Amino acid sequence: MAPADPPAHDAPVAGEAPLAVELRGITKRFPGVVANRDIELRVRRGEVHAVVGENGAGKSTLMKTLYGEHRPDEGQILVDGREVVFRSPADAIAAGIGMVHQHFMLADNFTVLENVVLGSEPTRGGRLDLAEARRRITDISDRYSLGLQPDALVEDLGVGDRQRVEIAKVLYRDARILILDEPTAVLVPQEVDELFANLAELKREGLTVVFISHKLDEVRRVADAITVIRRGTTVGTADPRTTTARQLAELMVGAELPTPETRESTVRETPVLQLVGVTVRDAGARPVVDDVTLTVREGEVVGIAGVEGNGQAELVDAVMGLRPLAAGSVLLGGQDVTAWSTRVRREAGVGFIPEDRHRQGMLLDAPLWENRILGHQTRPPAVRGPFIDRRGARADTARIMREYDVRAPGPDTLAVALSGGNQQKLIVGREMSAGPRLLVAAHPTRGVDVGAQAVIWELLKDARAEGLGIVLVSADLDELIGLSDTLHVMLRGRLVATLDPGQVTPEELGGHMTGARTAGAA
Amino acid sequence: MSGLRRVALSLFGPVLAVVVALVISAVVIALIGEDPARAFGVMTDLGDSPSQQVQSIVVILNRAVPLFLAGLAVAVAFRMGLFNIGVEGQYRLATILAAAVGAAVALPGPLHVLLIVVVAMAIGALWAGIVGVLKVTRGVSEVISSIMLNFIALGLASFLLTGPLRGSPPGASIITTSEIPESGRVPSLNGVLTALGLAEPRSALHGFLPVAVVVGVVVAVLLQRTRFGFDLRATGLSPSAATASGVDARGMVVKTMLISGAIAGLIGLPDLLGTQYDYGTEFTAGLGFLGIAVALLGRSSPLGIAMAALLFAFLDRAALPLQFADIPASVVTIIQGTIVLAVVVANEIARRLALRSAERAGATAGPGPDPGADGAPPPTAPDGGQRARAGVPGTSEDVRR
Repeated sequence: MAPADPPAHDAPVAGEAPLAVELRGITKRFPGVVANRDIELRVRRGEVHAVVGENGAGKSTLMKTLYGEHRPDEGQILVDGREVVFRSPADAIAAGIGMVHQHFMLADNFTVLENVVLGSEPTRGGRLDLAEARRRITDISDRYSLGLQPDALVEDLGVGDRQRVEIAKVLYRDARILILDEPTAVLVPQEVDELFANLAELKREGLTVVFISHKLDEVRRVADAITVIRRGTTVGTADPRTTTARQLAELMVGAELPTPETRESTVRETPVLQLVGVTVRDAGARPVVDDVTLTVREGEVVGIAGVEGNGQAELVDAVMGLRPLAAGSVLLGGQDVTAWSTRVRREAGVGFIPEDRHRQGMLLDAPLWENRILGHQTRPPAVRGPFIDRRGARADTARIMREYDVRAPGPDTLAVALSGGNQQKLIVGREMSAGPRLLVAAHPTRGVDVGAQAVIWELLKDARAEGLGIVLVSADLDELIGLSDTLHVMLRGRLVATLDPGQVTPEELGGHMTGARTAGAA
Repeated sequence: MSGLRRVALSLFGPVLAVVVALVISAVVIALIGEDPARAFGVMTDLGDSPSQQVQSIVVILNRAVPLFLAGLAVAVAFRMGLFNIGVEGQYRLATILAAAVGAAVALPGPLHVLLIVVVAMAIGALWAGIVGVLKVTRGVSEVISSIMLNFIALGLASFLLTGPLRGSPPGASIITTSEIPESGRVPSLNGVLTALGLAEPRSALHGFLPVAVVVGVVVAVLLQRTRFGFDLRATGLSPSAATASGVDARGMVVKTMLISGAIAGLIGLPDLLGTQYDYGTEFTAGLGFLGIAVALLGRSSPLGIAMAALLFAFLDRAALPLQFADIPASVVTIIQGTIVLAVVVANEIARRLALRSAERAGATAGPGPDPGADGAPPPTAPDGGQRARAGVPGTSEDVRR
């Protein structure tokens, strides 16, 4: 096979620089799903190439393919114009590809130096050559302005520094192509800026960066080229200089996507949920939710926007009674429920769509009808007195599957066998079936396919029209703006701004979320 | 069809484990210079005459009953993700105190037995409850505290036996508590055997057998059919999901330990009320630890535990004939040990197979030939295999990541 120029198929994307990585027709199947289908990706040498797509679009699967963590069922991988077959990440590393995982893989009780060399320790005469390791790490740190201190303990480092250690680890193994999987997900805005400065250094040294993200603003800031993945396949490429975030978003979610818009107000007077000065502290007594006061009325969707990790999860826990309050109170329909347990709150009419359905919403190893009971253990139709009503649970599960379009063989299927979208539809159907007054929905469409997303939005809108109060926590700004009647922005545990979703643009909202615009709006 | 398949899958693990254990044991027997075929022949030979065979079966059943109860006690906790290693201490302490109470009072028949049973269950529950309370209030791992409480219970039992509760005359070679009077004993079921036309065995078939069956049924219903059982199993499957669904994880830990301990309290009673009538230095030991093996082999389901208990009892009975045949009786221990080892591996293999077949079932349920309709990653990927938990609900790392 000629290692030279790849055959010119499709439209070559302004291909002056040689391609560092080319993926042709990559298809990867898992039991039950096609995670990637006919992926085409061309990354030129020395560029920052962003791969964008929604959660669950197949970005991570694709990167695992490129990093040799699994082999594609179809298609070719070309590195520097040569076709390669990766049997393991070791092969990918040998070919000059390195991966910085979203979740850091560092030993906390090791120093930076030890972490970097771990697994490829330089030796001299069978002994660890620390001097050589130190020389190389200092060299890498200086060349790419990583600012590493080889002897610092990793457990003392902040998130940004840890990420730089991960990058150094990859560079230490002579990677010329770096894959960064959602690198900004864990960073605060200043750290993002630092990371982007590092990426610029890498680029200047001629390295190639593949940057995975679903945050469009960041992508447009840092990338030289963008490839968009939707529903497991590449749907196009874009030039960040000429493409707007809006256009990118449309590419990402598809033009035919129904918008979550719901302008006609159904807000009634009666408050369903009132939070008064709610404060939650973490183990170190730092307030993670700080003096939050808000009201949700019947028929109202109250959106909570914020960069992840600014206290939204803890706020949800506080409403559900999963976390003790340090101060403040929670009122449900005017009644103080602060001291109520989660079960009593649920019985009082609080539905819950948790952020992480696998951890909090489902019993993966249990059949669907048992999952129907989960969270409703004390109420019919699944329960009769102290006993489980198996027949009732099965029948009602079948009804939910029918009405909410849950695609599965039957109520006895194990939950783990369902795709994310179908699992989520089951959860939504289950929570709606109990006829709640208040629904706490945390990222209700995260990681579900576009079809399920539309269904879920529709369900939320209908329920709202019938007088359900909804607390909506989401990272999807369009979803927040489209569904909410009132929009609060949460930053470092506080509600820093209240916006009118009819007026605000995603860009403005994003500004508030990062704190850039707080002063003007508070 | 799928039901049959599920049964086959759930049988696969234990059967595979037993087969592997037999193969390994055969190798070991061959290595010590004996003939594996002859050893297995001796073990499966229940006797020549009908009365010998009935006797063998009675011995097996009498051994299986306490093993079954021990397995149940472990399994109840296990289904919720709690490892109750303390069953040994719970039943020993429960048995000696129940024996003492039984010997000290005089009541009409059924009431007397009932009192002994209640005392045994209460003591077992109390002792196990300490583990639960320590776990929810102080975050002490139930594995550690229950093991440590075993030592305390055994020491306490020895102290009580040699001190305040000693009933045997001074100087006797075997120290025991006072004997339980006639009214506190459970009659044997030999009458039933003869009524069935079987030969009268030399030993008495435990009258406690029906009680054990009832306990098994109650536990099965409790786990599978009640709300409480659902909460318990949900907590075992996913502590975080159970908590989010409104299960009070801390309360469940204590309640589950109380139930587990109460069942553990029953373990010593078949022997105490059926044959021994007192607790002494020679009283059957080690049932609590064997119960862990039985529960593992039975995959924590009451029916499976019954099968496992019968198998272990069958193996235990073979120890004596093996010695008569000049084959070391430790062959039995080797088989039991390798079964436990193999069953852990086999259960995991069976679990993965079941998972894969479930995923395939989910895949075929799709709406038709539209492979691109769902771009979601495989169902197990997003949580990074969260299901592999240490199974310690209520601890901080379970409540929050």
